Amino acid sequence: MFGRVKDAMADATETLRRAFAGLKVSELSPEPFHLNAGGMLALAADPRAGLEPPVATCTGMRLLREAVQGRALPPFHAELQAETGWARWGAEAEVIHMTALEGGQAARVAVPPLPRRAVVLGRVDPPARPLSRRFSEPLPQPSTRRMDPGLPSRAAEAGLEAMLSLAVPIRGENIQHLPKGLWMRYSLQLVRGTGENVRNLEVLGLFRIPRKGVADLRHDPSQGRILVRLDSSAIRAPRVPFILARRKDDGSLLSCFVEES
Amino acid sequence: MADPIKLAYFMAVKEGASYLGGLLVTDTSGIPLDFRYTEPITPTRLQGILYGKSLEPHLKEEVIQKTLLKELKTPPDLFIISATELAGGWSGDAKYPVLAVQKSQESPLAKVGDAFRAGPRELLIQLSEGAAPLRVVFAASVDASAQEQAVVKLLEAGYHMDLAEPLERVTAALQSLVVKEA
Repeated sequence: MFGRVKDAMADATETLRRAFAGLKVSELSPEPFHLNAGGMLALAADPRAGLEPPVATCTGMRLLREAVQGRALPPFHAELQAETGWARWGAEAEVIHMTALEGGQAARVAVPPLPRRAVVLGRVDPPARPLSRRFSEPLPQPSTRRMDPGLPSRAAEAGLEAMLSLAVPIRGENIQHLPKGLWMRYSLQLVRGTGENVRNLEVLGLFRIPRKGVADLRHDPSQGRILVRLDSSAIRAPRVPFILARRKDDGSLLSCFVEES
Repeated sequence: MADPIKLAYFMAVKEGASYLGGLLVTDTSGIPLDFRYTEPITPTRLQGILYGKSLEPHLKEEVIQKTLLKELKTPPDLFIISATELAGGWSGDAKYPVLAVQKSQESPLAKVGDAFRAGPRELLIQLSEGAAPLRVVFAASVDASAQEQAVVKLLEAGYHMDLAEPLERVTAALQSLVVKEA
C-alpha cells in the first residue's frame, strides 16, 4: 500500500518535472524596490478619566400634607315610569268598533271601447318613399312552330356503273357432271379455238360469262372461280360457256368461248 | 323458256350519322342487272330523339327499302337480306320471299342439291360438292310452300354463283359511294 503511494508520488513528481522541463524560462530583470518612506504618525494615547465612582443621590419624598375632600356618591332612587302600551297589553285586546258599510252614490261607469286599430307609435317615415311602377309591357306570345318529324324520302339513284366497277366472282361448273358428249364437243372447240394440243392443255374450269363486255378476268384457283370486271355492255349480253385452260409446258392461260348446241 | 331467275340483294348501312341503302339485282351468275341506292339520309338530332330506338328499323324498312323497291321494274324472285337484318325481326314487304343466306360450318350433305330442314324457317342446302352447306333462313312471312319454291331457285342459282357474296358487293359499293360523295 505504502509502496503504491510512493510510486504514485514519484510518477506525479516525474510528470510535473517533465511538464515544466520544457518551459521557457524568461529572465526578467526585476525592478528594484523603492522604499517609499512615508511618515507615519506615532501612536498617541488619549488619556481618559477613569470610571467615576458611584454617587448616591438622596431624593426626599413629599409628604401628603393636604387632605383631599371626598364626595359622597348619590344614592339610588327608584322611579316608577308609566308605560301605556304595557298597560293596554295588560288589559288585553282593545275592541275596535267599525262603522257599517253604507250605500253610497253609485254611478255607472262606461267601459271605454278598445281601439279598433293599434296606433303605432314611434313610426319613422322613410327618408324617401319608393314609387311603385307597373310594368305594363306583356311578355311576347310564343309562336308555335311545326316540324314534321317524318324522315325524308330520298330518290333512288342508279348506280350500276359503281357496281360494275367491282369484280364479279363467277363459279366454275363441275365438268364431271356434264354429259360426256357435250364435254367432248367443248374439248374439240377448245383445241380448235386455241390451236393447242389437247394433251398439253389443263382445263381450269367452265364458266358462264357474258359474251361481251368483260373488261378484266382473273383466275382464283383457290376457290375454283374467276373474277371478272364488266362494263355496261355485259348486262344485256348473253351468257355463254367459257373455258379457261392452262398450257402444261409453260403455264400460260388459254381461253375460248364455246357453243352450247 | 322460263324467265331467268332474278335475285335481289338489299343492304342498308350506317356510315357515320347517315343511313343509306342499296339494292342489287343479279342473274344466276351473280352478274349485276340493276343497282339502285339511296342518297345518305342524316336524321336530325330531334328526329333521333323522337324516333328513339325505332329510328333505324324505320329508316331501313319504311324509307330506304320501300324507296328502292319502287324503282324495280320487274319483281325479283328472291329478296335476300343479311342474317343480321332478318334476326332483328324483318317486317318489310312480303311480296317476295324474304330470306337470308349464310355460310355454315356444318358437315356437307350427301350430295349436291340436297336440302335439310333445320327448323320451321331454316334449311341447309348443298350447293357444291364437298363444301359446307349453305344456311337459308326465311322471314316469318314466308310459308312452307313458298320456302320450297325458293329452295329450288336457290339451288339453281347456287350452281353458278356464290349466293352470299353479292351482299358483300353491295356493302362495298355503298361505302365507295359514301367516300365519293364526301
